[in-house]
Amino acid sequence: MGFLTVLKKMRQKEKEMRILLLGLDNAGKTTILKRFNGEPIDTISPTLGFNIKTLEHNGYTLNMWDVGGQKSLRSYWRNYFECTDGLVWVVDSADRMRLESCGQELQVLLQEERLAGATLLVLCNKQDLPGALSSNEIKEILHLEEITTHHWLVAGVSAVTGEKLLSSMDWLIDDIAKRIFTLD
Amino acid sequence: MSVVGKQLNPVQSSNAAAVATSSSSAGGGSSSSSSGVEANGGSGGSAGAAASGGLGVSNDSKRPAEPSSVSPDEVLHLTKITDDYLCSANANVFEIDFTRFKIRDLESGAVLFEIAKPPSEQYPDGLSVEETMLAAAEELSLEDTADPNAGRYVRYQFTPAFLNLKTVGATVEFTVGSQPVNNFRMIERHFFRDRLLKTFDFEFGYCIPYSKNTCEHIYEFPNLPPDLVAEMISSPFETRSDSFYFVENRLVMHNKADYAYDGGIIV
Repeated sequence: MGFLTVLKKMRQKEKEMRILLLGLDNAGKTTILKRFNGEPIDTISPTLGFNIKTLEHNGYTLNMWDVGGQKSLRSYWRNYFECTDGLVWVVDSADRMRLESCGQELQVLLQEERLAGATLLVLCNKQDLPGALSSNEIKEILHLEEITTHHWLVAGVSAVTGEKLLSSMDWLIDDIAKRIFTLD
Repeated sequence: MSVVGKQLNPVQSSNAAAVATSSSSAGGGSSSSSSGVEANGGSGGSAGAAASGGLGVSNDSKRPAEPSSVSPDEVLHLTKITDDYLCSANANVFEIDFTRFKIRDLESGAVLFEIAKPPSEQYPDGLSVEETMLAAAEELSLEDTADPNAGRYVRYQFTPAFLNLKTVGATVEFTVGSQPVNNFRMIERHFFRDRLLKTFDFEFGYCIPYSKNTCEHIYEFPNLPPDLVAEMISSPFETRSDSFYFVENRLVMHNKADYAYDGGIIV
């Protein structure tokens, strides 16, 4: 506890947050990241590594990490867990075939010790697509109600239209801020 | 078999002053006084760093004999631009290779400056990592180019409007070779003459073998006093930057850039 307290105090000074975006390939992680940062989203190719954005938002310095979701890359995710304050799990709401493996991958992450303190934001992306499942349906399929170890929120979003993206991210940032910057 | 990562030619890092043709009012250009994060266009001195892909690390006679002893702390305390490169061009044993630099203005959304290697020289997009690895394995490395410092230095020419930007996003894209890279850290120092304008210090941490990665720093342009701005405009190329890249606290790359802000001024 002592060590954690020191860490938190150091971070408090810098008002810095580390946010990790993960999810299966083609979920839209990079598109969300770019949309959030006001970049064009018309030429996005599979991420074969990471994309980082550092920015100021609501008075905080956000370090956002988007790591590729291809199966061959998932074993590398662990290298990016350290010091993560917020985990954004991005779901392709129209990819019904893979929702089960999507849920399994998420469960693995939730048991990860180094992510134990992280707030979880589940973004059900691609709500603009006709076949997209609602965030309520995805909440059921991913058994989100059973999560007791993390603060979490599920939201239906569209990186293409921008729907609910900003408000969801703001929830995440607020939740993290309440946890780590309100000590003392 | 010795897997050799792709050895790419430097981005157009030569002196071909990069005069950006921006559609925005804020003329072209890359970094500024303080920005420039990734302003140095070179291919991070990857020339000649042909890492062996196998487990062995040292079967390459071209490995630098004297590893650089410069520490991150030391470069953070430098009070001016260095006179020389603090590591040799072939210290880059991880084949870290810069493939794109881009600067955009967040207010207008305009891309102010962008240089990239031709796509044919990059890992093809849309391939899986395995496919990319295969493709890379089939590549042969090119021998060093004649100038070992080619790609370590870039010159930028901007218009004065660049110094008036409010919020800027500076993106760097890089690939790494066959070995995983741990504790990858970038420290960049921008000076006008002996005055420190800005320091960037960012830890990328771990990089996946054969990965292609990007990092964009979005930041507020620092408020520079008007007389300083005027001096910077009238003193082309006296604004300069050093970019230091460390892997596990060891300097593996050092790039330099200089900047002019008098583009478009008729004398």
